[in-house]
Order: sequence, then C-alpha cells, then structure tokens
Amino acid sequence: MLSSTPWKRWLLLAIAVLLVAIYLFPLYWMYVTALKTNTETFANPPTLWPHHAELKVARVWNDMGMGSFIQNSLVIACGTVAIVVLFGTGCAYGLARVRSVWMDVALFLVLMLQVLPPSLLITPIFVAFSQLGLLSWPRTGTILATAANKLPLYIVLVRAAFTQVPRELEEAALVDGNSRIGAFLSISVPLARNGILVSAILIFLQALGEYVYSRSLITDRAYQPATVGLQFFVGPNASDWTGIMTFAAIYVTPILIIFVLLQRRIVSGLTSGALK
Amino acid sequence: MTLQIELAGIQKYYGGYHALRGIDIAIPKGQFVALVGPSGCGKSTLLRTIAGLETITSGAIRIKGEDITRQPPRLRDIAMVFQSYALYPHMTVEKNLTYSLRLKGVARAEARRKAEEIAAITGLGQLLDRYPRELSGGQRQRVAMGRAIIRNPKAFLFDEPLSNLDAALRVHMRAEVRKLHNSLGATSVYVTHDQIEAMTMADHVVVMRAGVIEQQGAPLELYDRPVNRFVAGFIGSPAMNFVDGVVTETGDGVQLALPGDPTLAFTGRRPAGEAVTVGLRPEHLNVVADTGTGNTMRLPVSLVEQTGSMTYVVTETEPMLTVAANMSRAMLTAKSLDVQIEPANVYLFDRTSGEALKSL
Amino acid sequence: MLRFNRVFRDGGGFDSVLVLLALAYLVAFSAFPLIYNLVISFQSVDLFTIATFDRPFVGLENYRDIVNDPLFWPVVRNTILFVGLSVVFQLGIGLALALFFRLDFPGSTWLRGLFLAGWIMPGLVVGAIWGWLLAGDFGVVNWLIQSLGLTQQKIFWLSDPSISIYSVIIANIWLGVPFNMILLSVGLAAIPADVYEAAELDGATRLQRFFTITLPMMRAQLGAVISLGIIFTLQQFDLFAALTQGGPSNASNVLQYWSWELAFREYRIGHGSVVSVFMIIVVIFVATAYVRSTRHEHVV
Repeated sequence: MLSSTPWKRWLLLAIAVLLVAIYLFPLYWMYVTALKTNTETFANPPTLWPHHAELKVARVWNDMGMGSFIQNSLVIACGTVAIVVLFGTGCAYGLARVRSVWMDVALFLVLMLQVLPPSLLITPIFVAFSQLGLLSWPRTGTILATAANKLPLYIVLVRAAFTQVPRELEEAALVDGNSRIGAFLSISVPLARNGILVSAILIFLQALGEYVYSRSLITDRAYQPATVGLQFFVGPNASDWTGIMTFAAIYVTPILIIFVLLQRRIVSGLTSGALK
Repeated sequence: MTLQIELAGIQKYYGGYHALRGIDIAIPKGQFVALVGPSGCGKSTLLRTIAGLETITSGAIRIKGEDITRQPPRLRDIAMVFQSYALYPHMTVEKNLTYSLRLKGVARAEARRKAEEIAAITGLGQLLDRYPRELSGGQRQRVAMGRAIIRNPKAFLFDEPLSNLDAALRVHMRAEVRKLHNSLGATSVYVTHDQIEAMTMADHVVVMRAGVIEQQGAPLELYDRPVNRFVAGFIGSPAMNFVDGVVTETGDGVQLALPGDPTLAFTGRRPAGEAVTVGLRPEHLNVVADTGTGNTMRLPVSLVEQTGSMTYVVTETEPMLTVAANMSRAMLTAKSLDVQIEPANVYLFDRTSGEALKSL
Repeated sequence: MLRFNRVFRDGGGFDSVLVLLALAYLVAFSAFPLIYNLVISFQSVDLFTIATFDRPFVGLENYRDIVNDPLFWPVVRNTILFVGLSVVFQLGIGLALALFFRLDFPGSTWLRGLFLAGWIMPGLVVGAIWGWLLAGDFGVVNWLIQSLGLTQQKIFWLSDPSISIYSVIIANIWLGVPFNMILLSVGLAAIPADVYEAAELDGATRLQRFFTITLPMMRAQLGAVISLGIIFTLQQFDLFAALTQGGPSNASNVLQYWSWELAFREYRIGHGSVVSVFMIIVVIFVATAYVRSTRHEHVV
C-alpha cells in the first residue's frame, strides 16, 4: 500500500516476524514444554529447546482419560453445529432477503442476544433445566444452551453470505417453475455454500472450546468435555506442567490446523459479518 | 378471440407509494409488446407482476383467459429473461438451460436432447459444458434466451435484456430477438428504457410515466400522433424540439417565441391568441436555400455535430433547437440556417397540461 | 399440512417463518433465561427448592444482601480494572499492529493472519498456558524479567493477592489483541488511498495525516471495536477458571465469576442472579451502543 524501498521492506518483514514470534511465544512454549521431560521442565534456567524430546501423547491420553473428554467435546460441538445450522441458515436467509421494520427488529434482537455472556445466563438455565428434568441428559442440555449462545454469531455471518447472492437468481428459479423452498435449497444455499461452511466450522471450533455451560450442567465426569477435563489439572496448585501442556497440545493442535488451513476465509467472513 | 395476456385495472402500492395506477393492456397471441419509459416509471414492476414476482394490490391478470392473479410464478408458465441474465453460476450451460425441465421431471436424456436443440438455435453449440463465468457477455445473453425458449412457455418477459451489451452487439441482438420471436410464434413483453429498441422491435409500444400509461399503440402511431408532450418528447431521436408560441389572429398559424418572431402555418384551426407549446421534430426541419418559400425561418447556428451520415445543428436560440440535416460540407461553416417545415408536421400542445391539441 | 405446503412453496410468509423458527429458539434459550434470571433474583432459591416451581419471593432482600456483602465493592473495583485495562491495551496494541501490518512488505497479510491463532484458541487452554508461563517458581516470565534485571525477587503472579488480577488481565489482553487488530485493519483498509494522497499534496505530515484523516474516518470503527472489546471482556470467564479462580481469597474476583461462584459453589442462587442482573444491564447498555455504531457505519 504505502510503497517503500527494497531494503526497508525486508527490514519491516524482519520486524513483523519478530512481532509474530513474540506474540505466538505462549503457543511455542506449550509445545516445547509438552516435549520436555519432567526434570527439564523445571530446570533453571529454563531451556528454550527440549534437549531430550519425548512424546508423551499415549501416556497423557490414558492417564488423564482424554479419550472420553475429547469424545464428549466432539459430541457437544457436533450437536451445537447441527442445531445452529438447522435454525440459523434459514433465519440468516430471511434477514438477508426481506427489508422491513419487523426484520430490522429481528436483526436487532439477534445482535443483542449475541453479546449475552454465558456465565450470566447459566444460573437461570441451570434452574430451568433442573425444573424440567433436563439435567438427566446433561450433554443434550449443554448442546441446547451452547447452540443458543452461538446461533446469533452464525446468523450474522451467514446473513452476510446470503446478501452476496443476487436476488434475481432466485427469481429466475421461481419463474422457471420452482417453489420458494426449492429455490432456497437449490440456488441460494449452494451459492452461499462457502460462507455457510466457514461459519459452521468457526462455530464448531468455538463450541469445542466451550467451558461455562459444560462445567455447570455436567456433573458426571464421563460426560465432561476436554475444557472441563483440563481445568481439573490447572489452577493455583498445578504441578504436572508437562502433562497439562501435552493435554493442551493434543487438544488444540487440530483446532489450530483447521484454523490455519481456513485462515483467510475465516478472517474475511468474520470481517464482513461482524461489522455490517 | 381470447387474448394471450390481459392486464385489467392493475394497482400496486408499496406502503404509501402508488407504483402502478390502473394499468390496462390487452396482448393478443403472437404480439411483441414493449414497455418503455424513464427509470422509475413502473415498467419493471409491471413486468414482475406478470411474472408473479410481485403481488398486486387490485386488478386482474389473465393468461389465455385464465385468471392467474393470485398464482405463484411456478404455476404461470411464463419465462423471463433478466437484465443481469440471472444465470445460475453453479450450473453448466446445459444445466441452466434444462433447469425448468428437470423441475418438471423430464428425463435426463430428453432434457439433454432439448438442450442441444436449443443450443443449435441460439448458436451455443459447443458451450453446453461451460460455466456462465467462462462465457462472454453475448453468450450469456444467449443462454438466458435459451433458458426461456426451451420451456415453450405461454409468454416471454424481457427485463432490459440488452442493456449490458456493447452498442454494436445490442443492435445485432435486437434483430435476433425479434426474429426468434417471429419464428417461435411467441408472445413477448419487453421492458426497455431505450425508445429506439421499443420502436424497432415491438408491434405495440406502451409508454409509461409515474405508474401510468401515457399512450399505447403501434410504434408509428405513437410517433405520428403523440397524445401529449411527454410521449412526443420521449419517442423519436433526437428528441422533439419544444418552443412556446401563440396562435395567430387567423387561427391557422402560430407565432414562435424565437428571434424574428417567425410564424408557421399548421393544418387545422385553433382559437386565436391561444398560448401553446409547439413541437418540431429535428428531422422535419428541412434545410432550404432561402426563407422565401413559406413556412420557413432563419435560425442562428451555435454548434454542428456530425455523425457522418447525419449532421445535427444546434441553434443559438432560446430555447435551443436541434435540426437534423443532410447537408453539403460547404454549409458547415454557415453562421445561420434557413429551415422549412410542412404544416402537417407542426405539433401543438396545451402549454399547461401538455395535452396534444386537435384542430377545431 | 395444506398451510405448511402453501408457506414453503409459494408463500410470502416463507422468510418470516424461517426467521421466526430461529427467533423462537433464541427466545427459549437466551431471552427467557434473561427474564427468568430477573425473577430468580427476587426469590429465595437454594439446593432444596431449586427443582420446585413455588419458591418464596423475598423482594429486594437478595439485592440488599449483595450490595452489603463485603466482597461487593472490591469485586466491582476489580471488574472495572479488568475491563478498563484490557480494553485500553487491546485497542492500543491492536491499533499499533494494524497500522504496522498496513505497511508494504512481503507476506504482511499472511503474517497478520497468524495472530488470529490466539483468538481461535479455547479460553481455558489459553488460561492453562499463561498459568504455566506465569508460574511462580519455574515460570519462564519470571526467569525472563529476572535475567533482564527488572526485578530481584520472583513475582508470584497467581498467588500474590495484589497482583493476581493483573495476570488475568495480561492473558486477556493477549487473547483480545488479534480481534481488535483485524477489525481495525478492515477499517483502515476502507479509507480510500486517494484521501491520503490528497492530504499529502496538501502538505500534511505522516503524523498529521494520522490525526486528521485516519482517526476521524475510523471513528465508527473504533466505537464498534471498543464496544465489542468491553462485551468480550465482560464475557471472559474461562481465564479466571483456569488461572486464579478469583483468588487468592477473592483478590482477583470479578462480577461474572463471582455470580457463577455464588450460584454454583455456594448455592446462593438468588444472590448469583442479582449479580447477573447488574452485569446484564451493563452489557445491554454497551451492546446498544455497539449496534448503533454498526448502524452508523452502515449508513456511511
């Protein structure tokens, strides 16, 4: 954008790399610690590079019972995405297509509900769920609550995708003999596919990291997700840092890989949706 | 004879905005109708009500005598070509063409055969497996046409289908669309803001303004006998000149508010002293050698625009007039111009209402 | 069935039905809890009455209890500190990075994108990692500042009552910088280059251009980013759960965590609801400002 001389551009690149390195140091430290032996972890001065790297994936996986945690995380994330996509796609479409006072009110409501902190809603949700007996299915309850929390963001993002689809395409389909729902499913949805997919993945990644609802609604350890599992081990008196960092690394590496692969699309989806 | 399309007393409100104000049009089978008018006149809205994409507040739409006013688009059996073509970007040309057939449950092989047939007619032979983004503007336009033709619908609707093409292609496609209409024996309604398109293509032209039909009829009828100043100014290119004038004592001439107060004769009579607006088409102003021949005036020249075949002279008068002339090059530098007009070609309009004034 | 058919095939109500389905879900699981929370805040609720429907209303008693609680004002102070410092630093660092990555050098977009890796991480994992970085005895942060000679003693980030809130703030800044930066980058990119060129021809220096063009043209964007920053900071819960759990002895407790602790640790559910009500009022206030600022931007 602002042009500069070649050597200056390389200097700027060096500074940029340095900034990224400083910022991502915590992530680096997670992986390095995960690879260190217990003694090396607590060495003073700390080693910036593991001298006797060892992979403790299997041990941590079994000792910390990660199988069940990760499985529950996936169940909750998948359930959340299913509900969000089912309810949110049509709503996003309607909000993108129709311009009226009522739709403005609906959009305002969605935007307002987007910002409600889960930690403040959990108390009434917990009370209501226990009155309805929903706490007997704690993962279902968590999915229902998490979906409500993520739904507005999905609607806002996918709405932006639908506004990119020209209305005339759908009208052409109607004139060609299709019904409203037929035109929606065969024209609008395929054309907004990228936006829908990226938003759904974003919701999936966020739901994988959900903590408050799971922590509060699920008391049986067999149904708890990885965030709650990890929380057992951290805290002011944590000591098994290699174990914790291995746990964290196993847990977030898939998230980070998906994110890096889709980085550009997530960023553009987010920036077009969040501020419009 | 039942009419192919019949619009009766159509009213359309958008909230408080009155978009269509009592539209009546009767279209026999095989006719090519053009809806023309400035932007915002309601012509596209009217077309969309015929397609069923807009509901109407009151009135009736009948196709082949059947009232379809409340029918959804898919039950109307009408095809539409959109201004943007509205090709489905995620489908190949073949899939675009056969979309309506597949919805009707036509077998795949049969649909393919039809698509090839249509591709041959519209000159899309080799392009069936391409995607819309791989086509040129003209090719896309043909796909949009083909998609309409393949259904053999009761009527074709066109919403400014040529406005995205470059000038040369537009002229070419104009003829092609009309030829296609004739060979299919189709009934078409064609929306355009370009009066030349309307005049050259249509059997029946409907001029609209602000949700009202100003005049409808055969193209030359609109040109020869415009009912008001708006239609007179809208039809014809370059546009008709308008000058204020006053009917003379004798009632068969009009004195123009131009330098030298020239007086022109017209056919018929009007009350003496009536204040009128006089309409003079640029192509009716013939350049003559001198002002002695009657119904002539001398006009100072301000600007000469040459297109090669025609020369347009803009006069240095208030209001300025345009004269369309076939002149010798020697006259290009003339300071003034003598023009003559046939009395039959002098139009008179009421100065306030704009209505055309008939001879008493 | 006939009616269903009409709506989904041809009806004008098609869009409304789709919107209403989602709104019904949101009302059931977001708006209703909001109202219900208000109801609970006027009731006496404990472990034994939680599953019943008739609970005694106690008027404003819960509210009196909370405001008179010795913890109330310290927690409010912590919350203001937490939000204020987090937003200021997130915005400042985010803006600086956004401006830097706008400069022309190879790979700028890609490198900028890497920052978002921090944003996508689950808050609890980020908390765990910072817990390790800031650990008292073997934490790398302590080693770093000691070897740089900034301090002689180790700082006990998580267990020193006067410092523990700052350790959560640091982690929260780290978490919030990417989002701030990306949104501000979008705003910067939306300023047409010819405006800068015109200002440059008019003789404005780089600094003058920043204050007379960049900042004024970013006003709507900054408003939105600040509101979102406040909202996200008020939503922050996971970092507290992972880092200090409000401790030691509530020295780093904030309203959103306290509310949860009251309800789920001490089973003072009515009291927890009261704290939620206070917070929700603040959030709604900020959210209205946010929605208005996005509207404003829409118009521009």
